Amino acid sequence: MPIHEKSLIRPENLRTNDNLVIEGMDVSGHWSTFIEGRSITDYNENLQDEIAALPGGENIHRCWQCGSCTNACTVNAINPEFNPRYWIYLIRLGMEDELLRDKDIIWQCVSCNKCTYACPRDVAPEGVMKATAHWLELKGHTPKSPSMIFDEGFSSQVFETGKIEDSLVLRNFLKDTGQPLRQPWLESMILGLIKRFPVFYLIRLGLMQVFRPKTKGWGRARKAIEEYVHEVEAANRKALGLKEGAE
Amino acid sequence: MTKPVLIIGGGPAGLSAAHALATAGRKTILVEKEDRLGGAPILSGYARLVPSHEWASDAIGGMVTRVEQNPLVEVHTNATVQTFDGGPGNFTALLKDGTKIEADSTILTTGFTHFDSINKPEWGFGTYPDVVTTTQVEQMISSGKGVRCPSDGRIPDRVAILLCVGSRDRQIGREWCSKICCTVSANIAMEIREMSPKTNVYIYYMDIRTFGLYEGEFYWGSQEDYKVKYVKARIAEVTSDGKRLLVKGEDTLVKRPISIPFDMVVHAVGMDPNVDNMTISSVFGVDLNRWGYIGRQSTYAHLAETSRPGVFVAGAATGPETIDDSIAQGHAAAMAALNLTNMAMKTAAE
Repeated sequence: MPIHEKSLIRPENLRTNDNLVIEGMDVSGHWSTFIEGRSITDYNENLQDEIAALPGGENIHRCWQCGSCTNACTVNAINPEFNPRYWIYLIRLGMEDELLRDKDIIWQCVSCNKCTYACPRDVAPEGVMKATAHWLELKGHTPKSPSMIFDEGFSSQVFETGKIEDSLVLRNFLKDTGQPLRQPWLESMILGLIKRFPVFYLIRLGLMQVFRPKTKGWGRARKAIEEYVHEVEAANRKALGLKEGAE
Repeated sequence: MTKPVLIIGGGPAGLSAAHALATAGRKTILVEKEDRLGGAPILSGYARLVPSHEWASDAIGGMVTRVEQNPLVEVHTNATVQTFDGGPGNFTALLKDGTKIEADSTILTTGFTHFDSINKPEWGFGTYPDVVTTTQVEQMISSGKGVRCPSDGRIPDRVAILLCVGSRDRQIGREWCSKICCTVSANIAMEIREMSPKTNVYIYYMDIRTFGLYEGEFYWGSQEDYKVKYVKARIAEVTSDGKRLLVKGEDTLVKRPISIPFDMVVHAVGMDPNVDNMTISSVFGVDLNRWGYIGRQSTYAHLAETSRPGVFVAGAATGPETIDDSIAQGHAAAMAALNLTNMAMKTAAE
């Protein structure tokens, strides 16, 4: 076996039997080590359509595998396992099992969009990564990513009040991701603010936190936004063949 | 009086040369071995042509009518040249039926032969009825019956098109790219998707050579507008699990063996030198190139010349060629034939 092919053997594909007799021959122990086949036996033709149905994934079918995205990728420079080109291929051909092997790194995209500018076919790989991470969450393969938790907290506040109260966003995010509120960087930032900010601003900031004002006449806008968000979410779940609202 | 120009082969290049010469007022004799004119696009029943999407029967059929109706063109079908003697200005050709033709010059537009997939038995052609060639798919489309599995007439759920069947393959002595199969395959893939949107089409490729402007319309178009999937793999073998065809190979981008079920496998067959090229070479006394096509003397200065003065060549007789380029070369050969006469007259006048 050529040396480079040894790297293709995955530990989970090795089978050893403590007791095995084949045609009267005792081949127990490491003599009976088998490598399970790696052959791909079918394509899941729905996978590309499912990713394409989620926001950002629309242009995945354009990819011709040049690798410009992976070459441009910020995360790939740190972790060579992070390979958008490869995942796009797996999705295009419906190799779901292969894709799921990387479920714990796919969400790590930092949305720098270097790939978006490098891509000669306008696939928008950053969008595809976002859609894929979303798909993994909706299908229950991964827990909600921190960035998704942040996004949800952020937008739910906007939907509710039409305004952003930064400290509440931050507090909710830390709470929802199970992180302690007392963060050294946060403390030094708050101390810095207290030291340098004019008293007037500090009083306003404090009042905001207590009274949490809403944008005037927000009720109608809120209703429209919520309707739209619900509509999009329902469409996404439908495209993925999931039950409505079972998040 | 100047003798006519003899054209051998009534495909796109020959039709184009005949039309050009007759339009310039020269008498032309067109000799075709089959029972009708039109060449591969007509005889093999092509459907919609690349890149215009016109039906072959309309586009090439129109060229046939134009030539047949021209009083300056004399057409001999079911005819082949037995002997060919003389030199520029006074060639004599003897047809199989004994007709003697005097010609000023000759243009060989003898075309190509489709690769016979039986020569790649590992890809299942001739073994499984649902393994077909691009030519057969063209016929399915042009017949109006649609693309269906020959075994039971069902519309396939999944079609694989294998590129480079009979091209780029030392094992079978074919070192050339047949130039047009990538584009034709992309075109066929789009037509299948249009006729039957539920049919998924996969193209297995080594390289995609949809050259020039074909890139956007055919390669990108098939991916972007028709969601045709391209897999970088040269297929090792086509077998069957008893129900469906199994396409086996290595998906090189994931470094994994593949064994994928398909309902229909299409061979994108290449363009071989005309099977009669050895005979043509000896009858007309022209050299073949190292690949077995009729050799051209010059790439730039004298476009249509063969190794024998006064005998010109155009189209796929010289190597894999597109229809539109064959037509252009037919015009070039007609111009070469006209020049030959003019030069002779000039010399005589001096």
